Amino acid sequence: MKFSEVFDVIVVGGGHAGTEAALASARSGCKTLLLSHNIETLGQMSCNPSIGGIGKGHLVKEVDALGGAMAHATDIGGIQFRILNSSKGYAVRATRAQADRMLYKQAIRTMLENQPNLWLFQQAVDDLLVEQDKVVGVVTQLGLRFSAKTVVLTAGTFLAGLIHVGQANYQAGRAGDPPSLSLAHRLRELQLPVGRLKTGTPPRIDGRTIDYSVLQEQPGDDPVPVFSFMGNAAQHPKQMPCWITETSERTHEIIRGGLDRSPLFTGVIEGVGPRYCPSIEDKITRFAGKTSHQIFLEPEGLTTHEIYPNGISTSLPFDVQVELVRSIKGLENAHILRPGYAIEYDYFNPCGLKSSLESKAIKGLFFAGQINGTTGYEEAAAQGLLAGLNASLQVREMDAWCPRRDEAYMGVMVDDLITQGVIEPYRMFTSRAEYRLQLREDNADIRLTEIGRQLGIVDDVRWQAFEKKRESIALEQQRLRSTWVNPRSLPAEDAQRVLGKNIEREYSLHELLLRPDVNYASLMTLTGAGVAVEDEKVSEQVEIQAKYQGYIDRQHEEIKGSLKNEALQLPDNLDYREVRGLSTEAGQKLNLHKPETIGQAARISGITPASISLLLVHLKRGFKDSKATT
Amino acid sequence: MFQQKSDTIAAVATAQGRGGVGVVRISGSGIAAVANAVLGKLPVPRHATFGDFLDENGEAIDQGIALYFPGPHSYTGEDVLELQGHGGTAILHLLLQRCLSLNVRLAEPGEFTRRAFLNDKIDLAQAESVADLIEATTTEAARSAMRSLHGEFSAIIHTLVDELITLRMLVEAMLDFPEEDIEVVDTTLRDQLLHNIQIKLQQTLLSAKQGSLLREGAHIALVGRPNVGKSSLLNRLSGEEVALVSDVPGTTRDVIRQAIQIRGVPLHIMDTAGLRSSEDEVENMGMARTHQTLQRADLILLLLDGSAGLSVKDEEILASFPADIPHLLVYNKADLLGEKNLALRSDAISISAKTGTGIEELRERMLKLIGWQNQESGAFIARERHLKALNLAQSHLINATEVLNHPELFAEELRLTQHELNCITGKFTADNLLGEIFSRFCIGK
Repeated sequence: MKFSEVFDVIVVGGGHAGTEAALASARSGCKTLLLSHNIETLGQMSCNPSIGGIGKGHLVKEVDALGGAMAHATDIGGIQFRILNSSKGYAVRATRAQADRMLYKQAIRTMLENQPNLWLFQQAVDDLLVEQDKVVGVVTQLGLRFSAKTVVLTAGTFLAGLIHVGQANYQAGRAGDPPSLSLAHRLRELQLPVGRLKTGTPPRIDGRTIDYSVLQEQPGDDPVPVFSFMGNAAQHPKQMPCWITETSERTHEIIRGGLDRSPLFTGVIEGVGPRYCPSIEDKITRFAGKTSHQIFLEPEGLTTHEIYPNGISTSLPFDVQVELVRSIKGLENAHILRPGYAIEYDYFNPCGLKSSLESKAIKGLFFAGQINGTTGYEEAAAQGLLAGLNASLQVREMDAWCPRRDEAYMGVMVDDLITQGVIEPYRMFTSRAEYRLQLREDNADIRLTEIGRQLGIVDDVRWQAFEKKRESIALEQQRLRSTWVNPRSLPAEDAQRVLGKNIEREYSLHELLLRPDVNYASLMTLTGAGVAVEDEKVSEQVEIQAKYQGYIDRQHEEIKGSLKNEALQLPDNLDYREVRGLSTEAGQKLNLHKPETIGQAARISGITPASISLLLVHLKRGFKDSKATT
Repeated sequence: MFQQKSDTIAAVATAQGRGGVGVVRISGSGIAAVANAVLGKLPVPRHATFGDFLDENGEAIDQGIALYFPGPHSYTGEDVLELQGHGGTAILHLLLQRCLSLNVRLAEPGEFTRRAFLNDKIDLAQAESVADLIEATTTEAARSAMRSLHGEFSAIIHTLVDELITLRMLVEAMLDFPEEDIEVVDTTLRDQLLHNIQIKLQQTLLSAKQGSLLREGAHIALVGRPNVGKSSLLNRLSGEEVALVSDVPGTTRDVIRQAIQIRGVPLHIMDTAGLRSSEDEVENMGMARTHQTLQRADLILLLLDGSAGLSVKDEEILASFPADIPHLLVYNKADLLGEKNLALRSDAISISAKTGTGIEELRERMLKLIGWQNQESGAFIARERHLKALNLAQSHLINATEVLNHPELFAEELRLTQHELNCITGKFTADNLLGEIFSRFCIGK
């Protein structure tokens, strides 16, 4: 049967990428259909029950600044909030929250159901409808045909998913859910670059069988942080602590004893797992000298006893899992609620994508989330929002929005994905960002909300709140620049207390704030400093911007220098084998990636500065000459 | 790896003129055809093969040794054939013409090196040093260029970068993985690494500066009234060492330059036209163009008549010298003073251009003042580009020491330090850095 209505955007998959994609598209006014094999699992956290962290929290704030759902749902569902790196500078501080799975999922569901222009439908997608290299719709399990102008695929780990527990394995999308086999098959037929990755989860534990009395408690921060720029602490439910324990030598012996039945070490698992999130068997093998590994016991929610032991992801046989868990302090009598497992799944090498996340091969088809080889809810959500937005922009006949590396972590991520491709699951870290000092959590709204507004995905409420904040910041900065303190009128006691020494000439408050040891609050206690702004978010911005000003100015210079190459477009019909002097290997690589700009080409691994000079020479010469001479 | 479809190029690889041996070098994909035509066969790779070099009628043009290096294991990374014959101009010309008749074209200047660079046989620093080797004007400069070609300069930068990466890895791991139970970054280790890098960079910079002096030389402004003995001083300074350097094309019309060298360091002596044209030249010291000349100098020599001493006008001239450029007062005609010793200021020296007294000491002091360390053995030919990058790297490293307590700023300064060093040798990505972190620390919360 053919569904009579034609949608602007169809989103396949209802995980973190799919929900952000569907919401962004619908917010922009596009008629959007979200197809999921099970509406009950929309917004499900299938791995650990936490959101954010270093690099990841930055992504969540960016999604939020563009009107996305993740930060809001975390504020509603978060049962422990912390600011990581709080003792270090603002640029590397990041928010992390434990979330109650049920509350989080419910918050996402509520947003989806109340979003105008968005239709939900429960059906697994089996096939894509493609006409002349353009996607025109999808076919579901029941044979229902839905027509659409664009399709966003967010199939997560469900594509040809294979779960391993010890020597046993079975096909699944995630524990308890079926895999997408037909779709995987169909996508392989489309000759897109497919690869195989692996990820894992730990066994889950019944909290009633844990002896907390011997464990170290890890409470949340006080005052409780808030994730969304629009959120407040009053939205948070009751807060809970996490607990810290560790593996012992005995644990390691048990694991070593079970390695002969490990699918990871016996070669059954072919997919590549992440180096930063290794299984416990991987850890004790690779770091054999380490006698103990830390484990965080994270509550899964307020209404369940289930505990997620972060740090012992494993695919060892179940009997080994039981023994290893019980060798850990506090878990001697633990009951396992669900076995840990490893899952292998298909992904599409993202070097086949444009920076808009649209496939280079099939027009109108966008990919987002784990299907692109990333891990993590946050990475998925950020890509989902971008893909949904860009699908809607294509429908609205507008240019795609592709943030640059200096504008957003989103830009860093997508650029890394499409220029480097993926060989292990990709996770965000702040060290991936050259311009870390300006890509901060605290200024995600200042960087992105105006853009989101122009692109039609930021609503009036958020926009007005943002404009007010931005104006207050500007006003206060102006006031600090025009308020002067002079040596005669400044009491020596004030100068000593706040500045550490007397001033020798007249200074503006702004100049004084630039000093490393001066902060906004102490500055405001100077005689003649006037009245401080009340809104802490505003004073915080004023202070941070002053502190990083010198560095950021310099980064701007660096960015300006690189923009020339960055913006230089490479024609997509360029056959790199024709570029004179280019090595065969470089030619093949460039033909595979088909970079959109010289900047992208330069970041492809194996492309040397020499290759780039040749490309530049080629572009200068024009095509005719090269064809004539080769 | 290497370019399969490259056209074939040839050139005489040895210097113009008569010589014992002359070499024609051919590189590209058409080597087999050339070898078959000229030698009658393709020689065994990397073996010296003696035989006739044939013309189109099968007659011998010359006899000699043929060397065949199949790509990519050759200088250019392509197939290379070297024909070593007798060094007469006419014979070499015939041999080259013979090659050029075989679908081979004449190589452009530097084209062999360019191909080597493009085929990743040598890096940018090495490629540049080949050009320096060819251009080198003094034997010391040539030796120093040779060292850069052998990758010593690159190797030193690489070691420096490796240590920097170790330090960055510690800092980045601390920033990106605060939740992991990785060893807390030990500040002693950090400070030690930082200190080592600073010292290495300082040494590299010194060596590079020496290399730059060897390559570019230094500009010396010679100021003095007529009759104080400027030309005899110049003759004395250059001494037996014949200046190989040709006159650098003048950057200003007003300056007469003469090139001499002291211990292999080329020195461009600038005399101001203004000072020569007027009898009362000292009065004209305030002239703008004279000042421009002085501004460009690496060292100013004020030549004075030792028997007359320092006049008030001399003092005025001295005061008008740019403060940031070193100067030296040279009292000439020490021979006329007899035993009478001058009470010399610390920035002065007494010599006699006529007898040679004090000349050796003058040379020493000039070299010292332009920054020559007298350690030619460690010098690298460094380009302005390299010096600039090294200087910037050093200033970022100094900044880094000032923000030790702000890890994100510390990390930024280290990133910038490496960014500058990467400009010399090549790129290193964030993913490489993460790889280092993962191989060292057990990450996995």
